[in-house]
Amino acid sequence: MKTKSFTVKVAGEGSLADSIIAQLRETGHQLEDQSAVHSNFDIVIETTNLDIDQKKKLLVEIEKTLPKETVILSTCLGVTATETASWLQHPERLVGFAAFFPWEDCELVELAPALQTEKENVEKAKQFFEEVGKEVEVVEDGVGLVFPRILSLIINEAAFALTEGVASAEDIDKAMMKGTNYPMGPLRWADHIGIDDVYAVLAGMFKETGEDRYRPAPFIKKMVYAKWFGKKTGRGFYQYD
Amino acid sequence: MTIQTVGVVGSGTMGSGIAQTCVQHGFRVFLYDLNDAIVQKAFTQIKKRLNRLVEKGKMEEQTFQDSISRIETCTDLSLMKACDLVIEAVPEKINIKKEIFQALDEHCPEQTILTTNTSSFSVTEIASVTKTGERVAGLHFFNPVPLMPLVEIVRGVKTSEDTLKKLAQFVSSLHKDPVVCEDTPGFIVNRIARPFYNEALKIAGERLAKPEQIDRIMKKAGRFKMGPFELQDLIGIDVNFSTTETVYNSFFGEERFRPHYLQQRMVQSGKLGRKAGEGYYPYEN
Repeated sequence: MKTKSFTVKVAGEGSLADSIIAQLRETGHQLEDQSAVHSNFDIVIETTNLDIDQKKKLLVEIEKTLPKETVILSTCLGVTATETASWLQHPERLVGFAAFFPWEDCELVELAPALQTEKENVEKAKQFFEEVGKEVEVVEDGVGLVFPRILSLIINEAAFALTEGVASAEDIDKAMMKGTNYPMGPLRWADHIGIDDVYAVLAGMFKETGEDRYRPAPFIKKMVYAKWFGKKTGRGFYQYD
Repeated sequence: MTIQTVGVVGSGTMGSGIAQTCVQHGFRVFLYDLNDAIVQKAFTQIKKRLNRLVEKGKMEEQTFQDSISRIETCTDLSLMKACDLVIEAVPEKINIKKEIFQALDEHCPEQTILTTNTSSFSVTEIASVTKTGERVAGLHFFNPVPLMPLVEIVRGVKTSEDTLKKLAQFVSSLHKDPVVCEDTPGFIVNRIARPFYNEALKIAGERLAKPEQIDRIMKKAGRFKMGPFELQDLIGIDVNFSTTETVYNSFFGEERFRPHYLQQRMVQSGKLGRKAGEGYYPYEN
């Protein structure tokens, strides 16, 4: 079977962009850097999560350069795919997806069509992710979809417990790995993912639903202000050299 | 004083698992329950489980004999006075626990450490019926006890540092990992693990994804060994629901822990998971 090669542009902030770019290079797809001006992309991937205004600005700018067939895959960690699509001239081209860094560790990517998304674009998105070696699960649109939403709430609870002095960060992580088989302790896991992306999910859920259940732990909010984003900035719940 | 003799009060799943683990690591154990039939049955179960280890070649015959010779069954709580440490593992009823601690406080010399394996109640509340809260702490094992490496050591408001230190040594001598935590609802694991189940239920309830999809996603995108629905089926959906209710109530109705009606419906229907032959998934028993 002939494998299809996609011409892809990756744009946006957050931890995911770089690792997606690295993987696309490895799998031999045509990759255009963020400043490329020509417009022959099959797929544009956009990954901003923390600053929703920035995300909107970026998507509006990018769309101006695109023919209307190009599919835009945009992370829906902090905002629904449907809201994201509403910013576009051609909302039917947008497909939401969710994944947490590190990209190479996730075998599966969640896709969510916006209410406005055209069916064939979901198929294209699916084809693309399968082409780069990911399994795909199509779910309904919602902030954080499934895995990022559940894990962010676990991390939020761990942060509440930490600041309430229930136990040390090390002991909280140890307890979750040894007492209930988590693959990583939630606080160290948060440091790996990036506190900015975790906060984006919590703040997005809180804003979307107004439910106190999703209120970000004050300490996570402070970490975002202080740019303690985790491993990538050298400081998160733990310190890194 | 080093701990050599351990009293285990209650010979159900947790109690007999704790007793087994203790004798396997060289401790003498007094295993207590209300009547001889119950406690003998538990002793037989322990022998069976250890014998299986011998059959599998994981334990020497001599070690097996030594281990079971260290267990003494009893139905008289006053025998706990011979123990350096008592671990209470009776059903989660606060009045039963309080009665037991009152009796233990009277029978046991002051150097005996008194602990509870409770996962639902405040250690401070249980300790309140004793005159000596300094020697009372939580010692929370996980099911199945012989396999799960974690033990949460819970510091009640009055628990002394010395008690905590001795308990940490004891847990390490069982080749398990101790973590010390404060006496707060759900301690560490039962609290922080709540969203794993609760949020999965909420997502399923909002029809954003099906339980099978959520399980697949959590395993393949999140690298969890089991998904939240298959894990509830394994634990028992009723057990899981009751843990959630307890944590929710202990936090005075904090919204983050609010149980989901979908889970309650499963309990009400008797579809409790693997043990019932059906839960979120069907099982052939």
